[in-house]
Amino acid sequence: MSSVLYQKVVMSFGALNVLRSLDLAVPDHKFLALLGPSGCGKTTALRILAGLDMPTAGKVFIGERDVTRLQPRDRDIAMVFQSYALYPQMTVAENIGYPLWIRGTPDAGRKAKIGEVAAILEIGHLLDRRPRQLSGGQRQRVALARAIVRDPAAFLMDEPLSNLDARLRLTMRGEIKRLCQRLSATTIYVTHDQVEALTMADFVAVMHGGELQQMAPPIEIYDRPANRFVATFVGNPPMNILPAALSEQGVIVAGKVVPLDDARLAACRAASIAEIGLRPEDCSAAAVDTPDALPGEIYVVEPMGNETLVNVRLEGGNVSVRAGREFRGVVGESIGVAFDPANACFFSSAGLTAVHRVNNNGRVT
Amino acid sequence: MQNGMQARKYRLQGAGLDLALPYLMLAPGLTVVLGVLVYPLWDGLRASTRAYRYGSPVADVGFHNYVQLWSDAQFLNSLWVTVKFVALSVSIEAVLGFALALFCLREFRGIRLLRTVLIIPMVITPVVVAILFRLIYASDAGMLTALSVAMGGGGVQILGNPLNAFIGLVVLDVWEWTPLMFLILLAGLQSLPHEPFEAARVDGAGSWRVFADLTFPMMRPVLAIAIVLRTIDAFGTFDQVFVLTRGGPGEATRLISIYGYDTAFKFQQTGYAAALFVTIGLVVLALAFSAIRLLRRIDAS
Repeated sequence: MSSVLYQKVVMSFGALNVLRSLDLAVPDHKFLALLGPSGCGKTTALRILAGLDMPTAGKVFIGERDVTRLQPRDRDIAMVFQSYALYPQMTVAENIGYPLWIRGTPDAGRKAKIGEVAAILEIGHLLDRRPRQLSGGQRQRVALARAIVRDPAAFLMDEPLSNLDARLRLTMRGEIKRLCQRLSATTIYVTHDQVEALTMADFVAVMHGGELQQMAPPIEIYDRPANRFVATFVGNPPMNILPAALSEQGVIVAGKVVPLDDARLAACRAASIAEIGLRPEDCSAAAVDTPDALPGEIYVVEPMGNETLVNVRLEGGNVSVRAGREFRGVVGESIGVAFDPANACFFSSAGLTAVHRVNNNGRVT
Repeated sequence: MQNGMQARKYRLQGAGLDLALPYLMLAPGLTVVLGVLVYPLWDGLRASTRAYRYGSPVADVGFHNYVQLWSDAQFLNSLWVTVKFVALSVSIEAVLGFALALFCLREFRGIRLLRTVLIIPMVITPVVVAILFRLIYASDAGMLTALSVAMGGGGVQILGNPLNAFIGLVVLDVWEWTPLMFLILLAGLQSLPHEPFEAARVDGAGSWRVFADLTFPMMRPVLAIAIVLRTIDAFGTFDQVFVLTRGGPGEATRLISIYGYDTAFKFQQTGYAAALFVTIGLVVLALAFSAIRLLRRIDAS
């Protein structure tokens, strides 16, 4: 296992900059999720690490080794593809054993190793089948088995779960996480699904428009987003953003003055903040005349079973509120949205987070 | 309003014209197929069991023509020449076509032009191709002789020498039909999924192993179909030989099609020629079937 390092990696196709100077370091034995919307450059970054694409500029290191210009086979990596990329003409056993076979591992050792990884992934009974005789989930397991059959310096996974149905995705998510912890392997995992990124990774690197937005542990990504993009991309439903202005006593949001403590107010002033960000779970539904609650009108009510998502139209925009399952509001009704200002964060007009929430991890309730 | 609706007459489905319509639509096509395909086939089969002799009535001879074929040294020789010609041409075309297709799979400047240029031989009228090659091969003023003289050699005998004439014919066929192989195989290569190839590169395979372990196995069905198609086609090669050598010198390039033509139109043995072509048709059919069955077996295993 090895660490992975991107150094000022640029990738452009003509005038199109897919990656603009990516700097990223993945510590040894850690699971990094590259998260971003489609077209953000995350897959390109992975392909550059795999050696399938050559960067326009910059360097890539695996461990101490500069692998920028090495062939994929000389990089000592294993990759799982979105479409699994199994070899259609080979049996499952041949598929799994291929990386060993190509390296000249003797038959006996190879067979033993195939049996071992097949047992880990519970596909021992499928070894004589061909890929087309397998279900999606089984193919996924074979692809994983082929990746872990060697002991590579790093595992690369390119949206490995996105071709599975929702239920199976949930199961495999847990299995891959377990597998990676068990192997204690350096893993780069590309996904556009923030839930996958948050649940599986030790570190999440959020990318957008070919640039790294933030790299941090999942909790920090969620609680202390570096900018407006990260704040709204991570979290479901996304963070509520409302325009905010400063007054003498506090911040004016949706026509109401929200009091802030002196230190935060000063910080807001210094950064001349433009917007306030509030997680839906930090808001609560309240009576419309509650003091300090923002007055609004119910726009949509979505009962989820365990909770109810309420979309409220306020002056300046709509906000989502996570209400209890017993919430019984009716569309069009007047309602108040209450929140603790300590849980709010504030963005500058450039979209950067100027003032974070008070508590890093613990929530103020 | 309601009265109007009730008064309207409905034409029911599955009755009257509805039933006859499919057959009416099929009738013209069916007539043509019967007239130009089925009847001639039947007529040919009937002719193959008869003897047509000038001055005597048409005689029914049963399978006599078919039996006689196998003791006809000229027939056996032309069959042998044809098999040699088909095996040699088609295998060279397959190898060349595959190599060209692999090469043209890469993307580089001018690739589209190159792909187009490579197709040209296939779209030239076969007779024209044969005339061109006659001009190249001609021993007196041909291009090869001119080249040889320019380099200080003597005249080159292609069409006058049995072995050279045969090789010359194979070269012509390869020149003309490699593009078809190329086209089919290129289409096959382009339809292969990308990811397994990338996976193999990551797993550690070099170009040769990628070809041997992935490209070739995945292309086997396409390759087999291309070879079967070309084989059937090559068995029927006629116009090029007819223009180039008429089967000569001696019997060196006398393919089965030329021998059949001679039998039917030079020697007026219509019945015998019909039996010959029916036999060849069956041989080609058997070849094609066994090739496809072999392919299925490979696929299933």
